[in-house]
Amino acid sequence: MKNHISIRNVNAFYGEHQALKDITVGIPEKQITAIIGPSGCGKSTLLKCFNRLIDLTDGARVSGKIIVDGMDVLDGSIDVTEVRRRMGLLPQKPNPLPMSIYDNVAYGPRLHGTADKKKLDQTVEKYLKIAGLWEEVKDRLKSPANKLSIGQQQRLCLARGLAVEPEIILCDEPTSALDPVSSQHIEQQLLKLKNDYTIVIVTHNIHQAIRLADYVIHLYLGELVEHGTANEVFENPKEERTRAYINGTLVTDMKTDSEVNLKGNVCPFNFVYAKQALHTLEKGKILKLIVDDPTAVIEVPRGMEADGHEVLSVKQVNKTDWEIMIRKNE
Amino acid sequence: MQIRRFKDVLAGRFMLAAAFFSSILVFIIAIALYLRSKPILEAKSLGDLLLGSTWMPFQGEFGFYPFILGTLYVTALAMVFAVPLSILSAIYLAEYAHENARARILPMIDLLAGIPPVVYGVWGVLAVVPLISDIAPVIGKLGIPFLSMESYSTGYSLLAGSIVLAIMVFPIIISISEQVLRAVPFEVREASLSLGATRWQTIKHAVMRIAYPGIAAAVILGFSRAFGETMAVLMVVGNVPIVPSSIFDSAYPLPALIANNYGEMMSIPLYDSALLLAALILMLVILFFTLAARLILVRIERRMTNG
Repeated sequence: MKNHISIRNVNAFYGEHQALKDITVGIPEKQITAIIGPSGCGKSTLLKCFNRLIDLTDGARVSGKIIVDGMDVLDGSIDVTEVRRRMGLLPQKPNPLPMSIYDNVAYGPRLHGTADKKKLDQTVEKYLKIAGLWEEVKDRLKSPANKLSIGQQQRLCLARGLAVEPEIILCDEPTSALDPVSSQHIEQQLLKLKNDYTIVIVTHNIHQAIRLADYVIHLYLGELVEHGTANEVFENPKEERTRAYINGTLVTDMKTDSEVNLKGNVCPFNFVYAKQALHTLEKGKILKLIVDDPTAVIEVPRGMEADGHEVLSVKQVNKTDWEIMIRKNE
Repeated sequence: MQIRRFKDVLAGRFMLAAAFFSSILVFIIAIALYLRSKPILEAKSLGDLLLGSTWMPFQGEFGFYPFILGTLYVTALAMVFAVPLSILSAIYLAEYAHENARARILPMIDLLAGIPPVVYGVWGVLAVVPLISDIAPVIGKLGIPFLSMESYSTGYSLLAGSIVLAIMVFPIIISISEQVLRAVPFEVREASLSLGATRWQTIKHAVMRIAYPGIAAAVILGFSRAFGETMAVLMVVGNVPIVPSSIFDSAYPLPALIANNYGEMMSIPLYDSALLLAALILMLVILFFTLAARLILVRIERRMTNG
């Protein structure tokens, strides 16, 4: 397995705070590498070191070496625009440029000197197709990019990043702002792209890492805890901290066995429906209820506990809706 | 209870009256100026007044053409100096300058805005005017159109007026443009830079696209300031009612005409009326430019939102 990016003794500081502590690890070529770890552990910082976007943060300092194709990207004398051209970036929140869909994709090639209209047309079509957006936008290429849905915008950002013909795609929690369907879309595109590109994805979603990653790097509080193939890390982690992290996130992202939507129901009824739903479940299974009635948020868990079931969590999922998790006991 | 309600109603009415009064003030002033300038409009045709270039109040000749052109030339030349310099300064401060440098330079620029116009005028008389009287004969001999000078210049000239004006509008354009640029979301820069754009490409193609309407507004504000500025210009521009043919010629802008002459020799027939007509013209021109500018801004904004 050949490494595309070699990270050697990288330290990063924001002022006094050390965000990365002596990281040394390699990122394999033409595979998906997931950088996992809790928020604030330095995942995004590491990603920003690759394409030197960290330079834009006031007071940030980086030391060490990051070798890409024999070139140290942290070396102050290299052409940083060339480094960035080689690495497409898929941001946390889609950031379309304030121009049309077409101009967004053509932006990179134009910067790097493609002026021929026909060639640009081909490039735009090619990469919109690769990003899986062409069919949806081919009739309105001239309309502004910010009129697209968030999911479409993110695919546009992918197309835009690919249009400069990078070798590496950096993804900084690329689906955290997207709905589940759009997230799935992006994940599918990434899986298709891994034959041609080295992909690095930062994610705190363990499920996403399991679905996508071939190789996993676990960071915790700026330290490299563990790295290895996805199989090794997920099935048989060497480090206790990795095991705890994986299990911890898996427990909080509970698997539900049944789900009942009680939105629009008022109190005695959602009570009855919840009871019925639990009745059909086997012991130990988990039921997810969605309610929007403020009384139900308090009374349903109370009632279910009185019936001897275990209420695992009650949390607000959006402005009106609440999610109640109940484990059936007899 | 009754008194409380009464006070509430009273306060509401009073504030309505105040708001109404201040909003119609511009019309009251325009109407008053029109009524006072009516005698001269009845005596002369508007065409003669606007396009006539003889200004001899004793002979009853009131041609505003030199004054109108004087105003336009001084303002336009000032903007030619001020706009590129201040936009580039704003870009430097917002995009390139280190935090520390910005924190030191910006307050200085804001201080510039607080200096009274008369001080600029004095500075112009002491520094700019002598400089121009020195360089005018040298450049004047080269025979470049609009830069010619026959023999001798006092230095009190269109150029002096516009240099002083340019410096006066700097702080307005710089500080507004800088704020506009800094309000452009960071994501836009990140997107552009991550595609391998240089900083300058990012500013030119991405950041400016968002900042454009705001910067246009800054320029327009600077323009209105320059157009109506009286004191500093009056002190350095020479105040000779001729149509300037070179930037080293003297000029006589409308505000200077009014400020210099109103209240003196008012016994000359129609003189008072002529000066108030000048005021009316000045006001209408500024209103026209402001409206046109608003229109452009609305257009730009619409184009920005609709792509």
